Amino acid sequence: MTGEPILHVEGVTKTFGMRRTLRERVGRAEAAEHRAVDDVSFTVGRGEILGLAGGSGSGKTTLARCLIRLVEPDSGAVRLGDDDVLAAKGADLRELRRRMQMVFQDPYASLNPRMTVGTALHEAGRVHRRPGSEDADRFVTELLARVHLSPTIAARRPRELSGGQRQRVAVARALAVGPEVLIADEAVSALDVSVQAQLLNLFLDLRDELGVAIVFVAHQLAVIAEVADRVAIMHQGRMVEIGDAGVVLRDPQHEYTRALLAAHPHPDPRGRAGVA
Amino acid sequence: MSTATLTPPARPSAAGRLLRRVWRQPLPVRIGGVLVGILVFAAVFAPLLAPYGQNDLDFNAQLQGPSLAHPMGTDDTGRDVFSRTLYGLRIDLAVVLFITYVPLPIGVLMGAIAGYFGGKVDLVISRIIDITIAFPFIVLVIAIVAIVGPGLTGIMIGVPIVAWALYARLARSEMLVLREQPFMLATTALGYTRRRAILRHAVPNLMRSSLIYSTVDLVVNLLLLAGLSYLGLGMQPPNAELGTIIAEGQANLLNAWWITTLPGLVLVVFGVGVGLIGDGLSDGELRGGGA
Repeated sequence: MTGEPILHVEGVTKTFGMRRTLRERVGRAEAAEHRAVDDVSFTVGRGEILGLAGGSGSGKTTLARCLIRLVEPDSGAVRLGDDDVLAAKGADLRELRRRMQMVFQDPYASLNPRMTVGTALHEAGRVHRRPGSEDADRFVTELLARVHLSPTIAARRPRELSGGQRQRVAVARALAVGPEVLIADEAVSALDVSVQAQLLNLFLDLRDELGVAIVFVAHQLAVIAEVADRVAIMHQGRMVEIGDAGVVLRDPQHEYTRALLAAHPHPDPRGRAGVA
Repeated sequence: MSTATLTPPARPSAAGRLLRRVWRQPLPVRIGGVLVGILVFAAVFAPLLAPYGQNDLDFNAQLQGPSLAHPMGTDDTGRDVFSRTLYGLRIDLAVVLFITYVPLPIGVLMGAIAGYFGGKVDLVISRIIDITIAFPFIVLVIAIVAIVGPGLTGIMIGVPIVAWALYARLARSEMLVLREQPFMLATTALGYTRRRAILRHAVPNLMRSSLIYSTVDLVVNLLLLAGLSYLGLGMQPPNAELGTIIAEGQANLLNAWWITTLPGLVLVVFGVGVGLIGDGLSDGELRGGGA
């Protein structure tokens, strides 16, 4: 199910400077450096789901944002197919961003509260002149069907929708521009467990039907185990382990991965020593 | 929720829809709406409602108190104060709407640009805002009046030159919060142009607080207009304007209170009405679907 690599990430590093004290700020002292992402390299294949796990502050989200330059990496290289993402500017960069879409964590804040669902979805297609976007109603209906939502949703505004519905709309908006890579940044973390399961199935369906690659960022290993073909573990900005999901989760090589697995709550008390 | 789903048998007129919409608002907004509505109605139809011309002298009826013939009395040249108030309100409301709602979108846009881009763009725009707010406003208006000549034109140029800055400051600080919102990040991720992100996604979300603030600004500007006219910088005699009516009546304040008090009361009613609407707006979502 894993095709040739589509997304190449090499040595991406992002450092945040922090002038902590007033004296440092006034004196413009050399800022204390914090490496949020430290020399991270990996590839994602066409139609592959890469799970990106790690504790709070491990740099997962920063890394995800570096990929589409919502955060500018300090160094390293990101390539989508043969195109250099970090060197792109203007219309080229917008086109590269179109090919890599993002779904955000908070479904309550990721949709413009003043736009109806239909307007938001159609806008995305129209801006990039996607095929079929000339017929707004059909375009929107097809997108909503893709994420298993009724066409009647199109006339609603985000505040009239549930969290799960909003997140589906956010996914539909990402799909509207025809991406090759989908970056799901904690996309199910804010939802309750039953809705989570539905969304995870949706992501699996999208991979199978559209062949999009998915970078799936989550702090819950159980969620990642559900969908990922390969798993990467982040710790303090570094990628400490990467490999096939089955292998990494059953036989972790790095001690942090083991600690993460051990810390994971297990629904069956008898299985606590085991693996999620 | 939305009016669209009701699909009424006969499509009501625009005015009818507006009335219905006003009627579903909380009580203070409704009261404010009625007060302002009456004043706007009176202003629009002033030539039809006024029993006399605004400059009709009647030396047989000087300084008369309120009566059926003169609901707000007459001034020292026998002009009907009620008629003058209606005509004055007409000019005042038109000018006040202009000097409030012309600078508003300009300010919101400048603030949105400053907040969205940050860095040097923000630095330049913010300094212009600071200078504009710090500049002695009356001096500016006097200077402009000196150039374009006395009358309302000077005010209509001078006030917007300064007034946009407050809206810009408000919008800028909100934009700083808004730009970190995931839906604004999404506009970047979706490959939208910055122009689209600002105009289509940020500005509609910044308008709300500026519109609420504008209800305060409306009242301030009405008083400002009255004040400037009082100083002789605004409306030129003999035509009526609430500020000039009040200023002219001042000489007879003790023996003919109605000349100053009754037009003043109209100012108060407008202020209270607009204030009630503004309060209601800031308290929560307007009822009845979007925008």
